Amino acid sequence: MKTAFCFDLDGTLTRQEILPLIARDIDLYQEFEALTLATINGIIPFVNSFKLRCRILAEVPISRVKAIVSQVKLYDKVVQFVSNNKECCFIATGNLDIWIEELAQKIGCPIYSSVAKYTEDKLDGIEKILDKADAVDDIRAKGFNRVVAIGDGMGDVGMFQQADISIAYGATHCPNQTLLELSNFVTFNEDALCRTINTLL
Amino acid sequence: MQNDKHAIISAAGLGSRLGLNIPKCLIEINGKTLIEYQLELLKKVEDIRIIVGFMEHKVIDLVRKIRDDVVFVRNPDYKTTSNAFSVHLGTHDLKYPFIIIDGDLLIEKASFDTFLEKCNGEESVIGITQAKTEDAVFVTINEPSGKITKFHRTPRGNYEWTGIAYLKNIPIKADGKYVFTEIVPFLPLAYHNIVCYEIDTPEDLDLAINNFDSIINSKA
Repeated sequence: MKTAFCFDLDGTLTRQEILPLIARDIDLYQEFEALTLATINGIIPFVNSFKLRCRILAEVPISRVKAIVSQVKLYDKVVQFVSNNKECCFIATGNLDIWIEELAQKIGCPIYSSVAKYTEDKLDGIEKILDKADAVDDIRAKGFNRVVAIGDGMGDVGMFQQADISIAYGATHCPNQTLLELSNFVTFNEDALCRTINTLL
Repeated sequence: MQNDKHAIISAAGLGSRLGLNIPKCLIEINGKTLIEYQLELLKKVEDIRIIVGFMEHKVIDLVRKIRDDVVFVRNPDYKTTSNAFSVHLGTHDLKYPFIIIDGDLLIEKASFDTFLEKCNGEESVIGITQAKTEDAVFVTINEPSGKITKFHRTPRGNYEWTGIAYLKNIPIKADGKYVFTEIVPFLPLAYHNIVCYEIDTPEDLDLAINNFDSIINSKA
């Protein structure tokens, strides 16, 4: 059995959601929270919400976003697992490549992300939003015959459906109902998640 | 005690014979639920997994208030699958020996503690108790060897299978009918006598309540 692990980024490897942190920089934190809540509650579809959020954040220079992202707190033990098992760990995030490439390098495993359109330090729009189900297919095509997905939000639903084993991780915030119902394991704590993925190695 | 020890509590079932509209592990006796008593007994076990199904949110919400590092294993097919299937879900990926416990048991601390001491990686240990339930699966003990040689429904015996065991290299298969039938091919096995009350029926619940003081307030 050759097992791969596919991690969501925001709230799964990072202790904080990244986009609201950027919003705070332009004083739109509360507005962003409202939009996030509307997304979680299914009032606005995930893809539309993500486009809207990126459009709002486009006014923040890319270099500034990178500086904010570099400060984001991580789940160290989970990141350690990824670092120790680079050959079978992947990140799948809806977040934009240009914003998180350095964070991904720091964590040190291959990453699937959405693709930004940009001119120098300015975000122009989104080239492509990642469908996380495609990431799972791509990982499988690399020769892994079991894919374990780990995530916490609506953006992870496709990944959970496509994976062989799904772990809902509720350490940052409680996983939503849809995701919970698609999961095989539910963990709320970094140690519990690490124990679970270690048994699946 | 090994750090890599796992304990798997099976709490997915409907508990239909009891006629309470809650999972059996949430039955309250003397102000505390069965699962709370069990988690107290397992304080020193690092990896606790609880298999959830029927009213999973209620179980998850309560357990999280007590211990946040529990791993919940979901059995969404709890209505149509056996307890053995639930145990399979929670155990088939584990590389080390593990303890299994039915979530509908009220267990005495002293005898459970001595059982835990026997869970040391050497051999499997089957938890037995003085026969008292209606639907008991009895065990035959071979006195000279100190091992269980048989599980049986008839004839009645003095001791019954508890649903508690420490299993080393004994897999519980997905299509297993009962957990004990999965253990049968590995007999004879060591045993340990644990004072405990399984709660399947209203009569079982009365019995557990009547014996509560002797079970829970026993000296460790």
